Amino acid sequence: MDSLIQSLSHASPLSQAAAVTVGGLVGVFATLGFFWMIIWLSGKLQKGEKSKKAS
Amino acid sequence: MQDIFVGFTSITWQMVVMWGIGGLLIWLAIKKGYEPMLLLPIGFGAILVNLPLSVVWEHEGVAGFLKILYDGGIINELFPLLIFVGIGAMIDFAPLFKNPTMIFFGAAAQLGIFVTMMFATLLGFDLRTAASIGIIGAADGPTAIYVASKFAKNFLGPISVAAYSYMSLVPLIQPPVIRALTTKEERRIHMTYHESSAPKWLKVLFPIIVTMTSGLVAPISVPLVGSLMFGNLIRESGVLERLSQTAQNELTYLVTLLLGITIGGSMQADKFLNYQTILILCMGLVAFVFDTVGGVLLAKFANLFLPKDKKINPMIGACGISAFPMSARVVQKMAQEEERGNIILMQAISANVSGQLGSIIAGGLILAFVPLIAH
Repeated sequence: MDSLIQSLSHASPLSQAAAVTVGGLVGVFATLGFFWMIIWLSGKLQKGEKSKKAS
Repeated sequence: MQDIFVGFTSITWQMVVMWGIGGLLIWLAIKKGYEPMLLLPIGFGAILVNLPLSVVWEHEGVAGFLKILYDGGIINELFPLLIFVGIGAMIDFAPLFKNPTMIFFGAAAQLGIFVTMMFATLLGFDLRTAASIGIIGAADGPTAIYVASKFAKNFLGPISVAAYSYMSLVPLIQPPVIRALTTKEERRIHMTYHESSAPKWLKVLFPIIVTMTSGLVAPISVPLVGSLMFGNLIRESGVLERLSQTAQNELTYLVTLLLGITIGGSMQADKFLNYQTILILCMGLVAFVFDTVGGVLLAKFANLFLPKDKKINPMIGACGISAFPMSARVVQKMAQEEERGNIILMQAISANVSGQLGSIIAGGLILAFVPLIAH
């Protein structure tokens, strides 16, 4: 990872921007994906609780 | 005698142009209703700072009140963070909890930030400045100001003006882009809405989880995300109603007032009147266009794999930008125009709320990545 950062720090601004773009988009999708998983799991938990109460 | 008329003898054509720009911003705020809370103070600040001698900024080595506010609230990023506390207290994540899949549009609609950043580097801007220009695409004024105050202080004025102006122009920018990318049939897609309530514990835990996750992924983003989520926690705790109301109203209004006039104060003619300002204003439009493109294209891509009865109206994707609730309203209006009775407002709001999350996460990642590789 250090060597990648090192080589990028000597790259052209466009290449640097492309690298930030890839990292940024992957990062945003991964982070929001993680939040989606939390919300999805909470929904499953809530359904489980409701069906327990009903039974 | 000359000293008496120093005000008249010091006038330059650049000052006159800046008075015109200040006047234009005030006109847009009052006559057109474009983000009046920001554009009016910015416009007046621009006039103030470009009066002869610029006493409100600095005169004979003594800082004027706008410079004091700038040093005390912009340079140290205090004002945007305080506004984030207020915005956090205003955000209701409940629509997102009901339609969690909409969260991905909040990610896709950040495309404009990155595309614009690349365009800006092609135009000769260095990476830090390009990132600050790209962040206009966050469609989120405080995030744009926060990032610009870290990476490109000299361009804070044009970046802030572009961010707030284009946010107010969402009803004009998004519809043609959406129409260009979708068919009439796609715009008529109906989406079923399932009413369900999110558990209280999720509403309370969510801001804490978001803050901690951001702290682990990009520690430098913690002030940004943390202040927003602190405001949201105050709201959702249910035990701090007065604090929540204070954050949403008094705190936000007061800081917005100071932020606006201070940003205007940073628009000195010598810093503002150059071709780079024009480029930045144009790049802002590019950012908003590509934000919309990113969201719409993700929805169209998802539709390739979804069964017929679960297809997403691709206009929803455009709501992944942070301009809340304007974007959701625009899309709902378009859906109604295409087919009366087509209600997609709740899904649109879910995507719009996601955009608020996506924009600060994107801002945080830029703050983390850029210093690693930029000299």
